Amino acid sequence: MKSTLLIAFFACASLTALTASAQTVQPVSQPGPNDTAGMTAKTIAIVGGKVLTVTHGTIENGTVIMSGGKIVAVGSAKATKVPAGAEIFDAKGMTVYPGLFDAETNLGLTEVASDQNSNDLAETADEIEPQMHAADAFHAETVHIPVDRLNGITNAIVAPASEDSIAGQDSVIQLYGRDRDQMLMQRDVALAMNFEGSVRRKGNFNGGPSKFPTTRMGLASQIRQAFLDAQAYEVERAAATKPDHKGVPPKRDLKLEALLPYLHGEKPVVLAARESYEVEVAMGLAKEFHLKVILNHVTHAQDVLDEIASYHVPVIVGSVYDFPRPDERYDAVYSLPAELQKRGVKIALSSDGGGEGGSRNLPYAAGYAVAYGLPYDEALKAITLNPAEMFGLGDSLGSLDVGKTANVVVANGDPLDVRTSVKQVFIDGNAVPMVSRQTKLRDEYMPLTTKKP
Amino acid sequence: MAAIWAPSISVSAQAPSSTPTDVVIQNATVMTVTHGTIPHGSVWIHNGKIAGVGATVNAPAGAKTIDAAGKYVTPGIIDPHSHSALGDDVNEATSPVTPSMMMIDAFDNRDKALYQALAGGVTTELLLHGSANMIGGQAVVIKNKFGLSRDEMLFPNAPRSIKFASGENPKRVYGRRGEVPSTRMGNFEVMRQAFEDAKAYMASWDAYNAKVAKSDKDAVAPKKDLKLEALADVLRGKLLVQIHCYRADEFLTEEAIAKEYGYKIRAFHHALEMYKVGDKIAPTGTGIATFADWWGFKDEAWDAIPWNAVMSTREGVRVALKSDSNDYVRRLNQEAGKMVNYGGATEDEALRMITLNPAWIIGVDDRVGSLDEGKDGDVVIWNMDPLSTYARVEKVFIDGDMFFDSSMPGFGTTHFNGVMHEAGFEGSDDEGGGQ
Repeated sequence: MKSTLLIAFFACASLTALTASAQTVQPVSQPGPNDTAGMTAKTIAIVGGKVLTVTHGTIENGTVIMSGGKIVAVGSAKATKVPAGAEIFDAKGMTVYPGLFDAETNLGLTEVASDQNSNDLAETADEIEPQMHAADAFHAETVHIPVDRLNGITNAIVAPASEDSIAGQDSVIQLYGRDRDQMLMQRDVALAMNFEGSVRRKGNFNGGPSKFPTTRMGLASQIRQAFLDAQAYEVERAAATKPDHKGVPPKRDLKLEALLPYLHGEKPVVLAARESYEVEVAMGLAKEFHLKVILNHVTHAQDVLDEIASYHVPVIVGSVYDFPRPDERYDAVYSLPAELQKRGVKIALSSDGGGEGGSRNLPYAAGYAVAYGLPYDEALKAITLNPAEMFGLGDSLGSLDVGKTANVVVANGDPLDVRTSVKQVFIDGNAVPMVSRQTKLRDEYMPLTTKKP
Repeated sequence: MAAIWAPSISVSAQAPSSTPTDVVIQNATVMTVTHGTIPHGSVWIHNGKIAGVGATVNAPAGAKTIDAAGKYVTPGIIDPHSHSALGDDVNEATSPVTPSMMMIDAFDNRDKALYQALAGGVTTELLLHGSANMIGGQAVVIKNKFGLSRDEMLFPNAPRSIKFASGENPKRVYGRRGEVPSTRMGNFEVMRQAFEDAKAYMASWDAYNAKVAKSDKDAVAPKKDLKLEALADVLRGKLLVQIHCYRADEFLTEEAIAKEYGYKIRAFHHALEMYKVGDKIAPTGTGIATFADWWGFKDEAWDAIPWNAVMSTREGVRVALKSDSNDYVRRLNQEAGKMVNYGGATEDEALRMITLNPAWIIGVDDRVGSLDEGKDGDVVIWNMDPLSTYARVEKVFIDGDMFFDSSMPGFGTTHFNGVMHEAGFEGSDDEGGGQ
């Protein structure tokens, strides 16, 4: 119900459509709200705001200039010249920061959680499913995306749900675009692996029968066998290319083939482990196969924090809202991001699937970590630059630096505070229409009375 | 259990019966909820009750004083919708009408979720039956005096509440078995029949009593029926009716049935579509206990918008935020803070949604929910504005006794754990049976 922000460039075609008077004739080629084609040539200058660059500090009265979808200048008002003809976004009194990056979400893989027909969360017939690609199920038109991006989420890792030992391959998305191809930035950026007790097939939570693996021993041996099979497959396949090879070459095995880039350390595995000993066992497995690891879901590992630091691997922590174990203080999980960061670990936070509020609550998880000891700048990094770097996108995302993708958010206050409202999101240098199914419902049912009780 | 941890508490942690004297929290930003925020105020608790709130208070010399300079003080946070401490006994999902179920019979005062909620400043909770049944069971109201006995944790003389549910949950539970109700039509017909049964039962007692009044020797008392007694109490207005209900059409149907049978609905719980019909519901006086921003997890939550609470407030509906979750109950203050973002609630409005309004839904707003003289000494000290993401609870007082102090080792330490493990504690994730 906040009044709409008045900014000069709001006269762009797609928004005119929303406010046009009845007699205005719209061209047939009117772009839809997601259409970014032809818009990136614009030059936009965000002026007067408090700029959180993430990489080079805070600029109190800063200017950010975007052109052609890239950030072309960031600096103080004095030192940064606004090019002639640039559209001006007045951000006085506001905060300007890079688009937020959710390090793990099911966004686009589910619509209504309770409706199985809308769920493509995880293939669970088998437990080793590296050949599953989140990209293949990613539903770009999901109603959830506009809702999440209106809170400043511009990028996310879409991962299958954590229900298999190896659940499939993650994709990185941008939360604005004409279609799936525009939103999918890169498919198969990482392999989702789980070494958590909850992944076991004990059979009683979905009503199905219990089957192998019902123990962590089973999980470990299953994962180990999968990688051994993949290694053997590779050897066999290589042998078949030799001129003196006899017989039929091996049939292409998508499952085993999918593991090869990870066995070669070309891409990271996102390895979930909650408890201390789960972390140790999982890291042992990873070492055995020389995997490049991003630890995930670490929540109850307080007694191996130094050990985790010694691995020199990045960690996606939490959720910070996980419940403490009976032998932990009420705030043990809340302070985990701070404890890891203190030890030099590169941390990221995620919405851990999405949950009831979706990814839009990601900044508040970071704020909670601040309340329990994480330095503010590190918390902001944990939802911007760090996840971008973990997934190999640090050159283009996660900070306000010249040359990076122009994913920029303007809010009326501290982005990590629940009381703050996001006023404008830019993706690829385009002002995203600040409209979602939820804002439409809000506007449709706006109370006639405006009295305050 | 109180004795075990009392020594580590610095102020006064004896059982309430031995509540000694006077506590004064001073130099704090005092958020009263009912009469604004006092920038440099004091709260004086005398014998468990708030005896003074203001820029200065007339506490007796020798009162225990706490210097809360730079801190914020609020009334205890109140969760009007919880399934904590009920273990697996949240739903008697064997029949759609089970009003004789008493949640007090399932109440486990050692549930660690209660302590975690306490650490989030929550002092009172309404523990409700789950949503499997059209007419579930009777709730229990607790004060979060973790460490004390079951009896000592009950909110004294709190009104009785009963939980109804309509919509997808009862449909799913019974429809799956090929039983009634499998549709919303079935939902409401089950309710109407239950009230017809109750009316017939009441009539049989009326007839009996009339005979007794005329000294009719043939008068035979009807059999007491616990289910029908409870429903009769609904019709007599002796139970506050709390209804799990998401959709706009259902609010209207529920109100129509309530009117038909002559009872009042205290609150719709969840109520995610109240923003569509707030103008119609406001005149009935029914309040809502809603989520701040949960949405989309089921069909009937598909039209949820985070502006619901504030838009409904603007229409004149009394709005509370609730957790329905062992997780969210730990940070209801943040959920209230979101209302400043979504809809521009004032700080007072936002805070009222987690204090006085839920107190009203539970029927205890004359005793808790604001910092007013005569109310119970349920007070929280925060390190900063509680509506901020960064706010942490420092101390929690209930009836003037301190039950939480963040500087204590507290729950999760060896000190506590002996007790926990003895009591057979295991992790208890959200098993609320709610949503």
